[in-house]
Formats: sequence, C-alpha cells, structure tokens
Amino acid sequence: MRLRKVMLVFKKDWLEIKRNHEVILPMIIIPLILSIGFPLVFIVGITMVPESASSMEDLENMIRNLPEHERNALSQMTPLQASIYLFTLYFLAPLFLIIPVMVSSVIAADSFAGEKERKTIEALLATPISDSELLLGKVMVSFVPSFMITVISFIAYSILVNILSFTMLGRFLFPNLLWIMLIFCLSPAMAFASICLTVIISAKVKGFREAQQISGMLLLPIIALMLGQIAGIIMLGPVIIGVLTLSIILIDYAVLSLSVRAFKREEILQKLI
Amino acid sequence: MESIIAEGLTKRFNTIIAVDHISFRIREGEVFGLLGPNGAGKTTTIRMLSCLIKPSEGFALVGGYDIIKESNKVREIVGVLTENPSLYERLTAYENLWFFAEAYGISDTNERDGRIRELLEFFDLWGRRGDKVGTFSRGMKQKLAIARALVHRPPIIFLDEPTAGLDPESAKEIRDLIGRLSKHEKCTILLCTHRLEDAEKLCSKVMIINKGKNIAIGSLEELARLVGKPTLQIGLLSINEKITDSLKALKEVKDVFIDPQLSRLILNLDDESSTPKIVKEVVHAGGMILSVNMVYPSLEEVYLKLIREGTA
Repeated sequence: MRLRKVMLVFKKDWLEIKRNHEVILPMIIIPLILSIGFPLVFIVGITMVPESASSMEDLENMIRNLPEHERNALSQMTPLQASIYLFTLYFLAPLFLIIPVMVSSVIAADSFAGEKERKTIEALLATPISDSELLLGKVMVSFVPSFMITVISFIAYSILVNILSFTMLGRFLFPNLLWIMLIFCLSPAMAFASICLTVIISAKVKGFREAQQISGMLLLPIIALMLGQIAGIIMLGPVIIGVLTLSIILIDYAVLSLSVRAFKREEILQKLI
Repeated sequence: MESIIAEGLTKRFNTIIAVDHISFRIREGEVFGLLGPNGAGKTTTIRMLSCLIKPSEGFALVGGYDIIKESNKVREIVGVLTENPSLYERLTAYENLWFFAEAYGISDTNERDGRIRELLEFFDLWGRRGDKVGTFSRGMKQKLAIARALVHRPPIIFLDEPTAGLDPESAKEIRDLIGRLSKHEKCTILLCTHRLEDAEKLCSKVMIINKGKNIAIGSLEELARLVGKPTLQIGLLSINEKITDSLKALKEVKDVFIDPQLSRLILNLDDESSTPKIVKEVVHAGGMILSVNMVYPSLEEVYLKLIREGTA
C-alpha cells in the first residue's frame, strides 16, 4: 500500500467536502447541538427551575455504580448540584460517542455512493490507485474531520462545564481521566469501526441516502449504552472505557480486514449497470 | 506488434448477455473503431478492457498485461475517456487534472504542472483553470475529460464517444488530435463512436457489434466489400451514346448509369481489375476523361446494411 496514494484520495475528497454544503452543514450543526445546545438547555432549565432537578432517590441507579470517592463527593452536594454533576460528567458522555459516528457517517455515506450519484466513480476506478488505497483514503477522510470535530466539541463543552462547575461547585471538572479516555480512545475507536462499515455500505449501495439510512443503525449500540447508564446497568468509568476501547480496537481490526476483502472495484460499477 | 488482444470476451449481467464472445486484435499505433447502436456492448467492452468490470468469459491482453491478473498494470498504461465526463464538479479544472496526474503516478511537480498547462492550453481551457468544473459547458467538460485521459501520456487510449457534445470546430480538433496521437506518438486508440464520420476519417480498422455480437470486422475497404462491389465513376468532358453503347457491350460492365449534372458515368462491375480495359474503351470511343474513381460504399451504407441484416 502506498501512503502517498491514500493521502491523494484524502486530499481530493477533502477539497470536495469543504465545498459541499450538504456535507459541511450537518458536520457543524450536529456537534453544536450535542455539545453546546443540549447541555445548555438542560443546565439553564435546571438552574432556572430548581424543582426540576432530580432528587437523590431518582439518581440512585446511576450513583450506585459510581466509584466510592464519587459517591462521597455527591453526598456533600444538594440535589441540584448532584444532578448537574452527574449529568455533565456521566450522562452526556455517550453523546460524545454519537458526535464522531454521526459526523463521519455523513462523509462516509457519501464516499462511494456520492461518487456513483455524481457519475465520477468510473474515472476514479479506472486509475491505478489500488482497492486498499482507495478504501483507506475514503476511511481517512471520514475519520480525521470527525475526530477533529469531536475534540473541538469536547474543548467547547469543557469550557462550558468548567464555567458552570466553578460557579456552582467552586472547582473545575475538566479535564479528567474519564473524558480524556473517552475522547481520545473510545470515541475514535468506535468512529473507525462505524466508518469502515459505512464506507463499505456506501460502496455496495446505489445512492448516498440509502447508505446513510443503513449506517444510521450503527448508532444503536451507543444509544443502548446511554440507556444502560440511565438504568444503572452500566456506568462509564475509566476501567469500562479501557475495556470497551480494547474490545472495539479488536472489532476495528476485524471490520477493516472484512472491508478490504469485501471491497471489489469491479463489483461497484457492475451494480450500477 | 499487437497492443490489444481480445479473445472470446463475454460479459453477462444476470440473464442479459451484454458482450458475446467477441475477439479482435489492435496493432500498436492503430485507431480501431468500435461501432454499434445503443446497447450494442461498446461501453461494456471498453469497461472490461480498462479493468472496470471483469469479463464473465474470455480474456484480453492490453499492452501485454492480462486484464484479470494484472489489472493495476493495465490501469497504469491506459487512458480512459468514459461515457460520462466523470469529472469532479466542485473541483477546478486544474484540481481535476492535478488529482488524476498524481493518481497516474506523475509525482514530480514541474512535470505534472507542465503537462497540465500543456493540455489546458491545447484545449483552450487555461484561462478557466481556476473555475469549478460545475460552471463549464458540456463541450468544455468533454475537452477536460479528454485531457484527463491523456494526462499521463498513456500508450493505449480508450475513447468512448470523444466528440459527443462538441461543436464541429472542436470535434475536428479532437479528430486531428486523435490522428496525431496515432501517427506521431504511436498511441493505440480504441474509439467507440456513433459518429460514423469520425470512424471513417480516423480508423484503420473497424468492428461493428450489435446485441453484444461481432457482426463484421476489418478495414473500411474490407467492410465495404462485404456489402457490395465498388462502383467505377468516370468524369467526362461530355457524354454521348457512342461511349455508353461501347461500355454496355463489354461483358465486364453490369450496369451503366449517367449522372448528367456532373457529366459522370457510374458503372457497376463484376471485377474492379477490369478498370484499365474500361478506361481504354472510353478513350477509344472518343471520351475525354477528366477523372476516374473507384467508389466504395460509404461506412454509413455498410453500417446500416450490416446492422439491419444482423437484426433481421
């Protein structure tokens, strides 16, 4: 595999993406809603109407799974403070797994399906860029922006939460190990697997919308994780994130190998005829 | 030396046979025309030869490389003008050529930029190099797509309808370019076209296909002979009965027609080798000869006849 060719596909696609409002707009709007809009609405709501804050009993399920030092810290807080603490540090964490998956799905779904729709695929496939170089180039152009957007969203979210936590709790909550591991380990690992699957779906289906609809199902495990946290079945802590990351890296490897094997350029055009 | 050898090339899409056991050979530097109505299998043939789809049966060597086992080698030495311009409309003309030049391995910046400039200037697009391709007319896109096919100076070029969408002047420029590439740069060109005029002017050999099957293959002259004998046309200063009667008396002459407007005799012969004898007879009858031409059926006549016979 020639890295230069991978980077060439990356650069060409990035030039196109930058000029495609249909792709750029969701890439900006989705992270803004999830990292700023959603937390802001909750925090403003809970502080303006303190009665809406959950009582300690309501939060019992989540608290039960927390480490001891966190439980001790929470016992010193009012229900309002505890709600904000749990919400910003734990409840919203899976949203930052959704951001890279959703952002990358827009680009990844467009990768081959978009080329088919715009009738540019034939000239691309006629070049001597190998199948694996093409595939990896397409995966990279989905992965890099989605990872960068996730990091930027995390920085913005951290600033927002720190301002709030300093005002209400007298200390900064970010950065912390849990979120560092979440943003820099688990989130890119999950995004990579979802991108590989979406790119291969994009190569197999006829159009962008079809690819995006199918890839939307890849969000289901993250939503399950989020519900699991609320129900108190699982709580994202450094250990769980570490285990999940290692497991997903193995899945990444399997999915990438599968994608390389499943990607056959001669079949792409054949399905369009 | 043969640049392209195809043997029994076949492509099936489920129950449909798009290309049905076609075989041909193209010599180096030859312009080979692939003619046929819509859906005849021309584009599918080009797609198989440029390794975009795999044949269901048969094999082909392109530049000595097997299209199935050495597909990446084939892609390196082939330039393809696809049925659609297949250009990135959000990229500029320059960016499009930059990408394809790099993809085909021109990594030296000076060489790449020089080649891009040369092509854009040739196609009169240098002034629009910074404009997005989406703003181009169909003809401009077609020219840019041809430039893309040539960017890496490929020795073998597949052109699918190269003059489609072009005005007569641009179409002539493209025809001249194809002729030059074949004659001076020894490029082997497989030309897929509906424009019989293009094939007639450019191709040294033609294959007519219909419903995926090879109907006829050969030089224009050979194909013409398949559908009828040539006619002998003799231009005279004046035509009189003595001349026509003497010609009708010859056993080699089947029919004699007079074209009074052009003062021309049109003769159907059994054997074109009798031409000198006929010319001698005209002179003997007092005819003042201005011109003698052996006229073969046009490619259009040949094409229509063969296609109709093939369909019947």
